[in-house]
Amino acid sequence: MSQIIINGIMLGMSYSLIALGLTLVFGIMNIVNFAHGQMYMLGGFIIYYVYAQWGLNFFVALLFAALLLGVIGLVFEKAFFRRFLRESRRPESSMLLAIGTAKLLESVALILFGEKHRGVTPFITGVVSFMGAYIPKIKLFIFIMSFILILGLLIFIKKTSFGLALLAIVQDKEVTKLMGVDTNRLSMIGFAIGAALAGISGGLLTLSFPIYAGMGSDISIKSFIMIMIGGAGVVPGAIVGGFILGMLESFGYGFIPGSATYLLIFLLVILLLIFKPLGIMGKPGY
Amino acid sequence: MGILELENLSKNFGGLKAVNNFNLTVEKGCIYGLIGPNGAGKSTVFNLVSGFIPTTSGNVIFNGQNIVGMKPNKIAKLGLIRTFQEPTIYKEFSVTENIEVAHYLHHEANDFGHFLNTEKAKKDNEVARSHTHKLIDSLGLTKFSDLLVENLPYGQLRLVQFALCSSGNPTLFLLDEPFTGMNLEEIDAFSKLVLLLRDNGATIIIIEHNMKVVMDLCEKITVLNFGEKIAEGTPNEIQSNALVIEAYLGSDTTF
Amino acid sequence: MHKTYKNSYKLYFAIIVFVVYLIIVPLAFRNNNYLLNVIITSSILSIISLGVWLVFAIGRINIGQGAFALIGGYTSAILLTKTGISFWLALPLSGILAGLIGYLIGRPILRLKGVYFDMLTLCMTQFATLAMLNMTKLTSGARGIINIPLPKALKIAGITVIPQFTPGNYIPFYYLTALILIFTFFALVRLNNSRVGRVFSSLRQHEGLTASIGIDVVKYRLLAYTICCFLGGLGGSLFVVYTQSIFPTTFKVADSVNFMLYCFFGGLEYLFGPILGSFLLTISFEYLRVIQKYQEAIYAVLLILMMLFLPNGLLSIRIGQLHDKTKLFISKNKKKVEM
Repeated sequence: MSQIIINGIMLGMSYSLIALGLTLVFGIMNIVNFAHGQMYMLGGFIIYYVYAQWGLNFFVALLFAALLLGVIGLVFEKAFFRRFLRESRRPESSMLLAIGTAKLLESVALILFGEKHRGVTPFITGVVSFMGAYIPKIKLFIFIMSFILILGLLIFIKKTSFGLALLAIVQDKEVTKLMGVDTNRLSMIGFAIGAALAGISGGLLTLSFPIYAGMGSDISIKSFIMIMIGGAGVVPGAIVGGFILGMLESFGYGFIPGSATYLLIFLLVILLLIFKPLGIMGKPGY
Repeated sequence: MGILELENLSKNFGGLKAVNNFNLTVEKGCIYGLIGPNGAGKSTVFNLVSGFIPTTSGNVIFNGQNIVGMKPNKIAKLGLIRTFQEPTIYKEFSVTENIEVAHYLHHEANDFGHFLNTEKAKKDNEVARSHTHKLIDSLGLTKFSDLLVENLPYGQLRLVQFALCSSGNPTLFLLDEPFTGMNLEEIDAFSKLVLLLRDNGATIIIIEHNMKVVMDLCEKITVLNFGEKIAEGTPNEIQSNALVIEAYLGSDTTF
Repeated sequence: MHKTYKNSYKLYFAIIVFVVYLIIVPLAFRNNNYLLNVIITSSILSIISLGVWLVFAIGRINIGQGAFALIGGYTSAILLTKTGISFWLALPLSGILAGLIGYLIGRPILRLKGVYFDMLTLCMTQFATLAMLNMTKLTSGARGIINIPLPKALKIAGITVIPQFTPGNYIPFYYLTALILIFTFFALVRLNNSRVGRVFSSLRQHEGLTASIGIDVVKYRLLAYTICCFLGGLGGSLFVVYTQSIFPTTFKVADSVNFMLYCFFGGLEYLFGPILGSFLLTISFEYLRVIQKYQEAIYAVLLILMMLFLPNGLLSIRIGQLHDKTKLFISKNKKKVEM
């Protein structure tokens, strides 16, 4: 039992990181980044090539993943979303644009990398024993890294003026604009950060889970579930959602046959949304 | 007993107390003002009363009946109509089409009948059409009848909006910032309309930031700040209330 | 003047489409199974997408239609293989069951706002796949259901109204799907032009206003969603009997997204939009198979370009504009010739 709980917590930390990227973009730009899962996948592949194949230092590879995905985020926002949000007549169109970007990333990845599942050998082997559970050291590493990154992000948001400006946009875009903040530029950077986070999560988790070009939509669905559970556009919501999903998965896989786990999780999500239509910590206005 | 009684009305959003133990008695046939700085919770009160968001606690008694938990369309049918801050109108419909929608409740045939275009349905459409034309003529909008509402001059647009919300002969109007964006002429015309409504027996509650209008039009004013009532009284009393002035300090509303 | 142009164009267009669709194509290409297959598939996808259009019409995004196509498909598959029920009964039953499930699940989820509803519908398709995978006693799980029998003849009072479907003969399916599509289309046109359609449009424009003038918003939302799910189930059933097999992955998240796509491509303002989108995209997708490797990528680029430059779909290109521009061109050139 303690193994299941420990697994859940470890999973939860990484999942929270994944969810944060998505919720940040949603909070700033009010669109769901459908390509979130694909960006995660690309981050994973970058680690696979830069670290596992070409032998560079893991942290360098991770930084590279963050930068590359950040650039992709910048480009997407500037080239696609910004001009788009001005012109279209129906708001649903921006969702379709997001889906288009997801398809683009996935199809390019399929062309470049093929369908093969790939894994990365962890650079730390062995297990530690903690409260009756066994934790592979690499998972502990991922746990600690996720924690540091989440902490770093929270500090960035709450303490730097840049982060506070982002937070302001999340709360009220119009007022923030009126206060002289260049919301366009900030949106672009916010999106870039969201993308970078997706890439970092992917890169980090590749150490423990295999990656393949088609995994984007599965990761996106998990991210959506976390957001629905925890609440969209709010930072604590992502963390709550991440941990709840981690726990649910861990308990589920522990007690019921594999594929039925997510069946149960979906049902629970629907049930939750009936009583809390905005998720646990969601705020109205979305 | 007033036409509307709010008893300890409260709404929490997560940890945020948007409306906190709000009590209000609205006498029939009066024009009330609900004012307060941005974010004070005024629109939330309207949303709660008209059934658009669920209450956290408290009662809303309309004509002696507790309407908490009722669906908004049911409350509307009881005679409580609210408008919205953004134009309460169907932008993609013409003037005629807009007003026709309000007639759907008076139809005899049901949806299936209308789908099959039965005789009853055809008659419904005829009756609705003639009522609509009469209304449009009485408002002086005849030449605009087939024009898309979004192309209408602002004053006319407000008239259509007014026609829409008054078509069911409601007894209580909740008007959310109806004077926004109007020039002096339009304010004058619309104020006269509000008075006309009152003279015909309706009760009106207005959320408004234009203080001159509020002071001129409203008989009694309630002031909200941070979800709580901080003052209540006649326009004169409110104007000289220190708490109210303090709440508004920093905003650009002038008395 | 402009209106009569529009109406006569519509009439000419409709007649041409009918003749081509129902007479010319099946006659001229009756031995070209490849083409017939593409059109049958397009017709079925159109039916399913028309359902999605209806939900767009009330201002919502439904990315879960794949789930209902799957439900309808499995219903028919199970009924046809495990009971002796005739296809002609199984088909409407599949639609009705899908619609019923849509109604039951629609009640709670349609209350959700914006993105939550969208994300939930996306997850629904995945959920349906997982459900079918796990209900192995009923659905045979991952093995799927194969060798689904072709529709038998429909006899009313001893007279064969519809002949037996034979393997390898695509024409009966062609007409079956075509007639159902045409019927569905005209039924929806009638619905849309009636008071119900107006209410749908009013929901899309300003749901709050509609509720505040006394109209039961929940009822109409549910109506649109239920019909949508019914059409999903109907199309799914047709597809499954046509391909004579079904697996939990027959309809995936990607398919749900595609149904949305077809609606967008054609244009959300017109009921014909999803049909145009389904046909054009399915046909072009087929012919892009030659560049199989890059098929998806090109698709994605097309989609992005379309959203950037033609966000309101193909049909948003005003026919009137084209007509005026052509006239201008002709009169310009006439002058040149006269000189």
